[in-house]
Amino acid sequence: METEGKSDILLECRKIVKSYNGPIVLEDVNFSVKRGEIHSLVGENGAGKSTLVKIITGAIERNSGDILFKGQALPLQYSRKYAENLGIAVIYQELSLIPGMTVAQNIFLSREPLYPHTRIINKRKMNAMAQELIDRYQFPLKPSDIIDNISIAQRQLVEILKALSGNASLMIMDEPTSSLTRTEVEMLFKIIHTLKSEGISVLYISHRMEEVYALSDRVTVLRDGKLVSVLEKEQINPAEIIRLMIGHKLEENAVYHNLPKIEGRKPVLEVEGLTSVGKFTDISFTLHEGEVLGIGGLVGSGRTELVRALYGIDPYNKGIIRYLGKPWVPSVHASIRSGIGFIPEERRIQGILAPLTIKRNISITNFDRIAPRGVIKNKQEKQLAIDGIRLVNVKPPDPEVVVGNLSGGNQQKVGLAKWLVRSLKLIFIDEPTVGIDVGTKEEIYGHIRTLAEQGVSVILVSSDLPELTRLSDRVLILRKGRIIKEFKECVLTSEKILRAASGILEEYDEA
Amino acid sequence: MKRNLLIYEVRLGLVLLVLMAVLTIISPSFLSLTNLSNVIWSVCFIGILSSGAIYPIITGGIDLSLGSLAALSGILVDMFMNRFGINWVVAIVLTVLIGALIGLFNGFIVAKIRVPAFVVTMAAKTYLYGVALVVSNGAMLAILKPKAFIAIGTGRLFNLPNPIYIMLVMVVLSQFLLKQTAFGRKVIAVGANEVAAKLSGIDPDSIRLLSYTLSGATTAIGGVVLASLTQQVFAAAASDIELNVLTALVIGGASLLGGKGSVVGGLLGAMIVAFITNGLNLMNVPAPYHPIVTGSVIILALLMNEGYLVPKKRKKVLGHHQAAA
Amino acid sequence: MSSHVVRWLVLLAIMIVLSLLIALVNPLFLSTGNLMKMLQEASQTGIVAVGFTLVMITAGIDMSIGAIIAVTSMVSINFISYTKLPVAVFVPITLLVGMIAGAFNGFFITRFKLPEFIVTLGTKSILSGLALVIAVKDSMGFVQNVYIQNESYLWFGSQTFGGIYRTTIAFVILGVATQLFLKNTRTGSYIYASGANPNAAKLSGINTERIVFGVYIFSGLCSSIAAIFISSRMMTAMPELGLGQEMDVIASVVLGGTAFSGGSGDIWGTMIGAVFLALIKNGILKLGISPWIQPIVIGGIIVVTVIIDVWQKKISDRLAAKAKLKKLAKASAQSAA
Repeated sequence: METEGKSDILLECRKIVKSYNGPIVLEDVNFSVKRGEIHSLVGENGAGKSTLVKIITGAIERNSGDILFKGQALPLQYSRKYAENLGIAVIYQELSLIPGMTVAQNIFLSREPLYPHTRIINKRKMNAMAQELIDRYQFPLKPSDIIDNISIAQRQLVEILKALSGNASLMIMDEPTSSLTRTEVEMLFKIIHTLKSEGISVLYISHRMEEVYALSDRVTVLRDGKLVSVLEKEQINPAEIIRLMIGHKLEENAVYHNLPKIEGRKPVLEVEGLTSVGKFTDISFTLHEGEVLGIGGLVGSGRTELVRALYGIDPYNKGIIRYLGKPWVPSVHASIRSGIGFIPEERRIQGILAPLTIKRNISITNFDRIAPRGVIKNKQEKQLAIDGIRLVNVKPPDPEVVVGNLSGGNQQKVGLAKWLVRSLKLIFIDEPTVGIDVGTKEEIYGHIRTLAEQGVSVILVSSDLPELTRLSDRVLILRKGRIIKEFKECVLTSEKILRAASGILEEYDEA
Repeated sequence: MKRNLLIYEVRLGLVLLVLMAVLTIISPSFLSLTNLSNVIWSVCFIGILSSGAIYPIITGGIDLSLGSLAALSGILVDMFMNRFGINWVVAIVLTVLIGALIGLFNGFIVAKIRVPAFVVTMAAKTYLYGVALVVSNGAMLAILKPKAFIAIGTGRLFNLPNPIYIMLVMVVLSQFLLKQTAFGRKVIAVGANEVAAKLSGIDPDSIRLLSYTLSGATTAIGGVVLASLTQQVFAAAASDIELNVLTALVIGGASLLGGKGSVVGGLLGAMIVAFITNGLNLMNVPAPYHPIVTGSVIILALLMNEGYLVPKKRKKVLGHHQAAA
Repeated sequence: MSSHVVRWLVLLAIMIVLSLLIALVNPLFLSTGNLMKMLQEASQTGIVAVGFTLVMITAGIDMSIGAIIAVTSMVSINFISYTKLPVAVFVPITLLVGMIAGAFNGFFITRFKLPEFIVTLGTKSILSGLALVIAVKDSMGFVQNVYIQNESYLWFGSQTFGGIYRTTIAFVILGVATQLFLKNTRTGSYIYASGANPNAAKLSGINTERIVFGVYIFSGLCSSIAAIFISSRMMTAMPELGLGQEMDVIASVVLGGTAFSGGSGDIWGTMIGAVFLALIKNGILKLGISPWIQPIVIGGIIVVTVIIDVWQKKISDRLAAKAKLKKLAKASAQSAA
């Protein structure tokens, strides 16, 4: 039943601005959610979705802009508890449940029903209230189930009940389906529709176009921190969404590649039928000398798991690998010794030794050169560091600077340097330029290109589509652990990649 | 880090000099040979133990069995020499090997079975004490021979007691091992960021195993020297010395989260603590107040390490604690 | 839940079997007098262990418990020796001292985020020195062995009908009350939450720092309660009282199934663990085995128990992972079809 315009808007954000000491993450974003609506928020990595959500839930503070919830203006800064009390609930991928406690205990944590005038929890009432909620939505749960023993899908349901028991009127779900099976996803959709019928709004954030298409009443598209478009139901189709997400400016990023230069080159890595249960299935490809092989796909498609298995960190179940023509069983130690390098994603957590100096960070993979018999040769070590710094142009170029104090871009350069000083034949690079300024990005692209020109093979995993199209000679698209497409085209565009990664088949192509 | 730590050690040295100056002013007898030789011994002992105990700490763990193992080592070496009649050199080698094996055992449980280090080594502290009681029959045994063995602890070279040389050699060797060898770098890497270390081809498990083995070996050496110097062994010798070693290492710049530490710093820290205690003695402060002071010193040292009392430090190092956050 | 109950039943079964075996060798073991004495010793450790359990549930540790016992028993002795204050006045003051000691720990741990282990070791030093400082000394400055004759104070450590020591009754009451508190009040569930997942707890509006602070105060309180009962029963107290209790307490809690990683633990387990430990110690004596075996046994129990716990978790994690993989494999086979 429609009432007059204003009162059916539950959440309204006007001209939201957020910047972190320089880079502007959200610029004059207008955003609204109606009552009882399923509203999807889409955009590429870095478009500003999670920042906007964090601002709405109170996790971070906005620089300027108004937020009205149920007509009431919200202060510039507020806590998550404050938002929760108002009725704004959020369910993140890393669920915030307490292991060791039951479903009922988690639902009512900090809000447990007490015996009057005491601090004693009325357990019977708590379980009964939990059961009531469970029955109302027909969830496959029992109040006495222990969180540790139930599946992720079930835990998500507990989070939903937790939000509902707090009288949420806006339920925000961030990538809720990444760990669910098909049946569980269907169940979640049913639940979302039930919530909608009760007048609760759902703000749905996802990379999966088919879900967005199936669920949404409206879709808001963000790009580079700005609002691009708000699509009404009839206007929603996946291809259009992707087009808006990427925009037209990237036609320039269509790169022409010279295929013939790859043909006829010696194979460096041959992979056949590689499978790791639950992570990736039946991966086969051949990587040639001096080739840059890009691996694209949505988050969770198995890209990182694949390169980790190829480098030797994680085991796999089936498949054959050949390196330089010979059968190869990967292990980190063997890989390094045989001229293979690895730059992990999450540079701060996995890639660098933050409390140590640049010199020490570069030495770490090079003991065979600077300490052949166990004792460090200081002169060699210093020279190696200087060479490494010079190769990638680290600023400041002082080997004794602690890496933790460098900018993100320079930290990544150090991570690159420790491999570049070796004679590599193959290097795996996983998300090399996340959170790095444009200038340094270009520098790193230059190094990758130079590596390829020198005959080093590169496997590049990236969610940055222009990056992938610019650097790669070929691109493999992974989806749910399988290779679904190989792009050998002369013209690679970001749009084509994202469409493939989202599983959109040719039928959605524009005429 | 290297530059930071070097400056840190120099600063520590200055603190030590200032402390010595203050103590000399308060009590001129501080610098007398008799007084200093009282202090020197405890510094030597803690220095010897620190040279090995620092390794588990840098990997982010800890070894709390130092005291019991040292006492047990003294008892064992005496047993080998005087009850079994084994040559004293062989006896010492055997004892150190046993110490290393015990360290290896602890390291195995920590690294391979993944039990928290303080539980493993705290339990070891208890049962090794029991073993020491059993082997020594609960008695305090005097070591009267062989003369060569006793000379280790009581002899002098160039008018300085032998233990000083032993301690200096071990501290220098350990500092070298830590800063100038691939192994030492790997230990620091494992403590600084285990994941990154693994991706760089380091095996954290074997590094940890070796660290605890080293700790066990140096503790055994310390126990042997203690037995030689005091010419007596008993199960409760060196009890709770771990706290002193920890305090010394923490003052010396070690972080209990791992990734940082200096043997030389630990030695300076041991001297600072020993001089403070000595100063309290010279000022005739009653014995009960000493642990109050040392306990406060360790809490102060922790506060400083975390950057609370020294405003400059807070901004400087974005240590791995923050990186991991 | 049930895995914990299984554990306790196993412990109880072992206790029964061991008791029978020991009684075969030395029938005195099962005499009422000995059993009461054993329970009393279990209670002395157990009272402290109750507080320690809460600390462990928050994933912390308190190495100063022995020193708190020492210092608070010295406080009692001072009151008895130098004042004529009635028990009803000075006992609460003594308990307050224990709580202040706990607050000292809690302050440095929560406010400055210093590592619990070292902080409490530092406190241990400070308090054991303090115990010596305030110990009652004779005219020459030597610590005096004060014999307590205060009737109402001696009441604490005395026996009641059936030969049961009042210490045991206090232990049972404290244990039951604490367990009920943990499982049935909001604060109790906050304690579990703070240990199991502090981030999630904070997001739910729980003030985890206040919880941890309070837990250390409680630990100090339990230590001081134990101090009163111990010194009362021994009719004296020396400044070294309690030092060395740490291992017994840790062994009791570990046996009972509380993990160092926090978020889980039951007082029932701690109570059973304390009795188990007392049985072992007493049994060793009654069997005529050298008392030197005791530290070996206690240290060994701790290591073996923790290893078994870690293995158990590894196995159950592996089984859960296998089940999850099976599910995923089925699902991906479906989606590929």
